[in-house]
Amino acid sequence: MTGLDPLPLSGRQPRAVRSALAVLEEVVAAGPGVTAKEISAALKLPQATTYRLLNLLVGEEYLVRLPDLRGFALGRRSARLAPHAAPAPPTAARAVVEHLRGLVRWGVHLASYATGQVTLVDRDPDHPPTEDALLARYPHASALGKVLLADQPDWRGVIRDLRRLTEQTVVDATALDRQLATVTTTGLAQQFGELRPDRGCLAVPIRSPADDTLVAGLALAGPPNRIAEADGRVVELLREHAERLAPLLG
Amino acid sequence: MQNGVLAGLRRRSPVAGLDRRNLGPAEVLAQSVSSAAPAAGMATVPAFVAVTAGTATVWSFALATGLALLVAACIAQFTRRMAAAGSLYSLTAKGLGPGAAFASGAALLSGYAVLVMAALTGAAVYTDALLERLGWRAPPAVGAAAVVLLAAVAGALVLRGVRVSARTVLAVEAVSITLMVVIFVVLLGAPPAPAAPGAGPPGDLAGIAAGVLPALGAFIGFEAATTLGVEARRPFVSVPRAVLATAVLVGLLSILAAYTQVVGFAGALGGQPEPVLTLAAVHGAPWLASLLDLGIATSFVACTLATTNALVRVLFSMGRDGIAPRALGATHRRYRTPHIAIAVALPVVAAVPAVLLAAGMTGPDALRLLLAVATAGYLVGYLLVCLAAPLFLRRIGELTPGPVVATVIAVPALALACGAFVVSALDAAAPVVLAALLVAAAAWYAWLRLRRPRELAGIGVYDETSALDVHGARPP
Repeated sequence: MTGLDPLPLSGRQPRAVRSALAVLEEVVAAGPGVTAKEISAALKLPQATTYRLLNLLVGEEYLVRLPDLRGFALGRRSARLAPHAAPAPPTAARAVVEHLRGLVRWGVHLASYATGQVTLVDRDPDHPPTEDALLARYPHASALGKVLLADQPDWRGVIRDLRRLTEQTVVDATALDRQLATVTTTGLAQQFGELRPDRGCLAVPIRSPADDTLVAGLALAGPPNRIAEADGRVVELLREHAERLAPLLG
Repeated sequence: MQNGVLAGLRRRSPVAGLDRRNLGPAEVLAQSVSSAAPAAGMATVPAFVAVTAGTATVWSFALATGLALLVAACIAQFTRRMAAAGSLYSLTAKGLGPGAAFASGAALLSGYAVLVMAALTGAAVYTDALLERLGWRAPPAVGAAAVVLLAAVAGALVLRGVRVSARTVLAVEAVSITLMVVIFVVLLGAPPAPAAPGAGPPGDLAGIAAGVLPALGAFIGFEAATTLGVEARRPFVSVPRAVLATAVLVGLLSILAAYTQVVGFAGALGGQPEPVLTLAAVHGAPWLASLLDLGIATSFVACTLATTNALVRVLFSMGRDGIAPRALGATHRRYRTPHIAIAVALPVVAAVPAVLLAAGMTGPDALRLLLAVATAGYLVGYLLVCLAAPLFLRRIGELTPGPVVATVIAVPALALACGAFVVSALDAAAPVVLAALLVAAAAWYAWLRLRRPRELAGIGVYDETSALDVHGARPP
């Protein structure tokens, strides 16, 4: 994100680093909404030092100030400090995915959005999908990623770099805006050769029946021209299976 | 599922629609530096300061730099903690409450609008001077046309996206500052000009203090980076740094300019009409004069762009706050800039100087009048934000002695500067304009109290933390 200073640690800096980490830990321990004064008292750090460290951590976006400007909470960036694996889908869910594989000629993949990224949790063994890192990093180019982006209040908060991966990749923010609006209204995301020139994809969202939050996505992958010609029956199958997966994953 | 504190988070930021988190530190810095327009200040301000400070002119600038740094420190108390687009008025709201925030908003709105008018006029005046030096004497209508043309270009750039306009500002300002540094370094090596009859006043303490007000004029606009809080990539770091760095940079450039001119005139700098041109002539380097006009004209062009950026974001924030027509808070879908505010503001800021020039007012007179009016707005804005800083810190429970000391020094100094300004401006047309603006602001406030009390009470929109920014919060 930013170039870090290559200077070696000197003088009181090691202590400052320790204090900063202690502040971060205290915010986690006390829970969101904890104030600067409370942190200072809990850690027995001088107030001025605490305030400086808090401003530093807010500047780096590890912490955020809540709307009252007094309370603190962990920022999005802190999620990177403790990556957690997406939970493996239950056997019943795998069976539903397997069932769909028996009905179509193309690859069927199941992705979880539990980590805030596209994470494949059931890959089609006969049709190996694109590697995980690419899917996680460039959601704008995959159908599963578009399902995730369409669900965000502002997708620009999740992805900044609309990198061109193939000739077909959508790199224009306004064009992507339009695509995501279509995904929201139709409940179907598509991409034809945007991630890899030889692969197209259809994906539908899987929402928790309890509170309607997006939990996972189900995708069909195949040659782009064939996927583009896929008839309504295939899409119906995809939606049907997604609906059966919802109570198993939500 | 959702913790109580996090349940209240908004789904979208209240300033959604702007191009969030997209500007690097250099682009944020350029916004502040350009709005302060150091080149124009370097050429003209030392002669005003020298009227009272004489040979101690440099000390007046040093004091003004100190005061600007204190104001920057007060502003930083806010900008390290919140990212806003409405400049000092959104910040003041968090410390002093709606009434003072409205006063700050009205003062800055007129300050920004009139500074854009002044910058447009300045660009036309110095372009005209440059053309004349190159042998073409343009009729007055050309000046008015140049104002309209520049305003149209500025409007297009500001609309086209914050990134494009910020980068243009950065490039133009870099050219301007390079030119000015070259000019003053050349002049430092020049022999002194013949002392005018009756050398300047001795630089006593009272004279130095009186010189701080005109010296402060060189810094006006240095807070402009606070309007890019939403659009800066790392707002809590780059905005406070940009404002502090601008105070330092403008201070250093001004001190260089003041020193060069005081030495050049052997102490008789006070009241010289064209000090730098005179020095250039003595040095036998007429090409310096053309370079100077170019440097100042480019500085005013950058100032026009930067201050327009600031002006439309203040209008945008007022629209979102609901204290101005809500349409002003709209943003363009593609360019992610406040396009309605641009469409409303630019015709006004272009028409005023164009009419003044077309009606036969000389360029320099128009420039002086506009700068005086703008300065008043800025001084009020600075005074209020300095007053608000410790109160804001106390409200959020983070008050320490340092900010109190900064306020205790800065507020009386700024109040004195405001008082001195009123006295110094009494004989010109500025007080009439200011009185009219004051009446308009009072009427606006009365209307808001009557018709939109709720919006007025909630004034001070900023880029609040939304559910998306918090780890573990689910969008509502």
